[in-house]
Amino acid sequence: MYLIEKENVMKIAEELAKNYELFGPVVDKGTGQVFFDRVNDSSEISLSAEIPAIPPKHVVFPQIERIMKYKYDRSAKKAEIEAILDNRSKAIFGIRPCDLTGLIVLDRFFLGQEFVDEIYREHRKRMFIVSQNCIAPFKQCFCVCTDSGPFADEGYDLNLTLLGDYYLVEAGSDKGKELVQRLGLKSADPSYAEMKKKANDKSISLFESIATDNKAWISRVMNRITTGFIKEDVWEYIGKQCFECGACTFVCPTCSCFNVEDHNRFDGTTDRLRTWDSCSFEGYTKMAGDHNPRHPVEDRRNKRFFCKLSYSQSKKYLRPGCVGCGRCQWVCPGDIGLPNVVTYIRREITE
Amino acid sequence: MNNIVDGKIVTVPEIATIEEIKDEIQDVKTFYLKFDNPEVEKNFKIKSGQFVMLTVFGAGESAISLPPSPENDRFHLSVRRVGKVTDALHALQVGDKVGIRGPFGNGFPFEEIKGKNIIYVAGGIGLIPLRSSIVHALQHRNEFGRIIVLLGARTPKDLMYQYNIEEWLKIPGFECYVTVDQPTDGWTGHTGFVNSLIDKANIPVENTVAFVCGPPVMFNSVINDLMKRGLKDDCIISTLERHMKCGIGKCQHCAIGRTLVCTDGPVYTYKQIKTLGEEI
Amino acid sequence: MDYKSGVCNFCGTGCGNYLRISDGKITGVYSSRNHPVSKGRLCVRGWHIHEWLMTDQRISSPMIKVDGSFKNVTYEEAVNFMMEKLSPYMGSSAKAIGFLGAPRWSNENNYLFMKLARSVFKTNNITLDSESGHRGSLNVLSKVTGFPAMTGSLEQIEKTKFIMVIGSDLTRINPIIGSEIHKAQMAGTKVVTLGSRKTQMAKLSNLHLQCRPGTLKLTIALIAKVAIEKGYMDKNSASSMAGFNDFASSLAAINMAEAIGSTGISLDDIDSVAKELCGSESAMAFWSTGISGADEDTVSYIANLFLIAGKVGKENCGLNSITGLANLQGGYDMGVAPDLLTGFQSYSDGAVRSKFEKAWQVQLPAEVGNDVYQLLENKNKDLKVLFVAEHDEGIVKYEKEIANLDFVVYFGSYDNPFVNHADVVFPIAALIEDDGTYTNTERRVQISQKRIQAFNGVLSVRELFSMIAAKSGVKWSYNSSEDVFKEIASLTPSYSGLSYDKLINSTGIQWPCNSEYPNGCKSFLLKSGTALSFAKVSGTFPAVNVSEAFPFLLIPGRGEYFWHQNNIMKKSYIPKREYNATLLVYPKGFIEINSEDAKKLQVREHWTVKISSDKGSMNVSVKISEDVKPGTAYVPYFIKEMITDFLLGHSDKSDMGLDATIPVRIERV
Repeated sequence: MYLIEKENVMKIAEELAKNYELFGPVVDKGTGQVFFDRVNDSSEISLSAEIPAIPPKHVVFPQIERIMKYKYDRSAKKAEIEAILDNRSKAIFGIRPCDLTGLIVLDRFFLGQEFVDEIYREHRKRMFIVSQNCIAPFKQCFCVCTDSGPFADEGYDLNLTLLGDYYLVEAGSDKGKELVQRLGLKSADPSYAEMKKKANDKSISLFESIATDNKAWISRVMNRITTGFIKEDVWEYIGKQCFECGACTFVCPTCSCFNVEDHNRFDGTTDRLRTWDSCSFEGYTKMAGDHNPRHPVEDRRNKRFFCKLSYSQSKKYLRPGCVGCGRCQWVCPGDIGLPNVVTYIRREITE
Repeated sequence: MNNIVDGKIVTVPEIATIEEIKDEIQDVKTFYLKFDNPEVEKNFKIKSGQFVMLTVFGAGESAISLPPSPENDRFHLSVRRVGKVTDALHALQVGDKVGIRGPFGNGFPFEEIKGKNIIYVAGGIGLIPLRSSIVHALQHRNEFGRIIVLLGARTPKDLMYQYNIEEWLKIPGFECYVTVDQPTDGWTGHTGFVNSLIDKANIPVENTVAFVCGPPVMFNSVINDLMKRGLKDDCIISTLERHMKCGIGKCQHCAIGRTLVCTDGPVYTYKQIKTLGEEI
Repeated sequence: MDYKSGVCNFCGTGCGNYLRISDGKITGVYSSRNHPVSKGRLCVRGWHIHEWLMTDQRISSPMIKVDGSFKNVTYEEAVNFMMEKLSPYMGSSAKAIGFLGAPRWSNENNYLFMKLARSVFKTNNITLDSESGHRGSLNVLSKVTGFPAMTGSLEQIEKTKFIMVIGSDLTRINPIIGSEIHKAQMAGTKVVTLGSRKTQMAKLSNLHLQCRPGTLKLTIALIAKVAIEKGYMDKNSASSMAGFNDFASSLAAINMAEAIGSTGISLDDIDSVAKELCGSESAMAFWSTGISGADEDTVSYIANLFLIAGKVGKENCGLNSITGLANLQGGYDMGVAPDLLTGFQSYSDGAVRSKFEKAWQVQLPAEVGNDVYQLLENKNKDLKVLFVAEHDEGIVKYEKEIANLDFVVYFGSYDNPFVNHADVVFPIAALIEDDGTYTNTERRVQISQKRIQAFNGVLSVRELFSMIAAKSGVKWSYNSSEDVFKEIASLTPSYSGLSYDKLINSTGIQWPCNSEYPNGCKSFLLKSGTALSFAKVSGTFPAVNVSEAFPFLLIPGRGEYFWHQNNIMKKSYIPKREYNATLLVYPKGFIEINSEDAKKLQVREHWTVKISSDKGSMNVSVKISEDVKPGTAYVPYFIKEMITDFLLGHSDKSDMGLDATIPVRIERV
């Protein structure tokens, strides 16, 4: 445990910017919307900004990404293929615990299982992560229901907690320790551990008054979702409200379904693109030649909530797929963000 | 970067040349392929029931099941035109290049079924993914009991691999029954759906596994009849097809229930299929 | 930060978005949480606008057609070629030259297109492509309220107490407006939908009046009739407005019992809607404009019904004509019409015309022009030359007539089936390659700024048109889109208070914006001194009846499955796939019929049936759905063959808009 004065905290970001491409929370001047995005200068970052509208997922899993390039000269029968991997070193500064948990879920999914996803691994390999604990929740938050906040306990190189005039800095890796030493931060005496715990308790206690938008006691519905023991009309009620826009998946810190398309360029080359996709789309499971195993929209919604909230999927993530950020709720044209779906299912259980 | 993991081409396709093209039935062609890189050609190993991701340059990538036997068989793909990628493939000629990744998927449980009778039930182009296993079983004829193929198609013109079947029939103890549901002039064989062959072939039940592959409607009725006859659900094996984008368990397009067809499948027992909780 | 604010360019909702531009390339899109219309939402199209914007399926070079095939040339050469070929037609006949404008182009580009037609090529034959039906709504709204656009505001949907959605499935065509209505409904607003099919919008409403096909207008008339006869109406003001007596007596002529029978809706339902609409504190009507939307007569009935209910010109009320294409409203605002100048100013008004003559320093022809589609249809073949801007659809209507023209000029960014019909093709800069303003369905003028360099060095419309003008001896001196906008503002009373400065620092401003409304105008509010008047109605309700030969009523629908056969959708991946998803299951297209009818016809899902009318026939697959009532069938036409082989034979029906109905026979094949 180390300490840095509140006004000096950006020195960490400045130090990182020397060796890394820097990403952090930025407030758009025009509309006030907060993004987690690349900055040219650490001064663009606002550590105190509210939870960003876009999670840092796109840093490791871009909305659209070129993964390969090829050129085929048919007359000469000559094919050239070039693999494209993102080998930039990236630092993410100020990620909140919910989004950090999202990143951990993505790691377990892309890097675990039978195959390692090399494209993801290249993004992730050289990454430096500085997280910040939430000393108070925001309106939309329900991470206390999903065990992913308000304080982080793993997955970071450095973790910041604002305690009065100081940030408590915890190192979670050798890389993190090395940076702390390079910056010459002073050690925090053991009493800070207790202060941090109190800050955590306080943050949790603030949920009741501040985080009023969403509640989602997901543990209550996980069993139902896993066993499929949910009445058809609940799914119908949910399906009817689905506008099939895909927004819930795009804004979700853990949704990782993708599409692959070959994009023919004007210069005669072709880019193979990996793009975000959503299981709520009708064409998602559609196979060439007239067969769609998953037809009604209820089925497709059902699939997404199964992925977020079933024990079988949790085995891949080693936790539930929902991290309690509340983003799916405010982008949904219907009224079926995950917290509401949990409510609908719980309502049925109660009845 | 190491593109080949355990003999599989994982991320970037390897270039292969079309050496020969054979017209099969309507809209189906077989493409005989050879990898340009001799090292890859040498190390490329498949299991029956697996599939590859085929890149047709300029059109995209698609999952294609593997008909060749793992041993002593030419590398080839039999492909029906059904969409953008397969349309583009059909427009290619001998000498053209394609890209191959794979092989992916679990494959048929070959070791586990040694000593048993095998029944292959195929509807139309459902014979394509089963061919690999049939040839492999015939290559090891004495390791199995009866080997029976029940093949159904819409018309006589839609019967896949007739020339192969003629060859296989020369192997002692190979049984093959064929039916069409819309006979044309000159058809002297059996008429009816493929289920009707189950009785005709008087299939064994004890110590028997059945491989079933075909369109969903045929699949369901064949399974029904096999079960009625007494076959157990864990002795009925099928290979499922799904829309796929990566082949390595990441894109999640091929998710069925809690499994992914590309890594947990494509070969499932009917017992597993029943618990997937989704239409197949 | 790589995210830059922008405006979605698909439908007329005008959602705000953020485009991610990294190293000069577009790499993504995100929703805009604080945008007053979209509030963080986008639809499937909006979430994939980057896929379209990054396409390389562009027109990369000017081309001229020589001996039947295209040849790449420079802009200079193409302009020379064009001017030379056109010289015999200049001033030859008022009907010789036509201009077909693009409802997706920016206000600036549409304004210059209109100016080019009028001041350089001296023609008033100017028509906005794709959705001429919107004009009908504008005519009615202008007549009734003096306000030639949607009178309400999307922001007020959440505040209104009663919503009536007529015909269209807004959840598909303008999903974010559909969403806003859905959210209002969840919060207590009463939502009533009218239509012959149970759409998603209908499923999300409190009450759906599922009338027989072809009786939508009649249903609206009946609600008005009941409102008057039962005394629910706003007695204080409506009865004293001009035209009330005519309207009331035309309603009185309707035989209630007979009419109820033909709509298939119970009198109780009509009564309760009339009562609730009139008694509600505030109310809004929504209808889609354009070919699959409401026709002028139906809009007149809607407007009159709301006058009777006393829901026009008041707080949180609105007669809301919803545009399906990004700048359809802006296109009309810019005077892309044979009889209009900007801001709905009448071309026939000599004072207005001389204002433009003075500003443009040209003589304008005194006569208004003709509708280009009418010119194409007319037997005399007066039209010889056609200028087309960014044809939006994958299907070319009047294909034969256009092939018979002497000379066709095409301006566009994207490769398109129309290009082959042209004799000279000019590529132009696309969205985000140039600054431009767009006016959404609720009159919100928003700016979309230049974010990337133009593809392959192509010119902007402004640069290209200035070059063409110069070639004919007219000097246009615009250095930027802003210069063009300043000119628009100076000539257009409803835009006079708008400027790029104001627009850049806002999420759009709703016109009128002028000295009277310095901050724009959210909704039309009645002021003392202005008077409302009833729209003239036809009083006729042509019944489309089934016969023994044609026992089904077929509803041709459009936008819901493949949005307008839209050309730019085909340049994307996910939205295109979602369109193809339906196409994969029903490659020949489908007809929706009720399960009862399927049983009678002895057909099942996916079986092919033959649909015949007195004009033609087509084969499609069966889709069984309870969304249509027995005796009714629905065909969304997203397959080219369906349009060319069957529906074009029924083009007379499209004049009926929402009530378009074709009696057909359905047979097993």
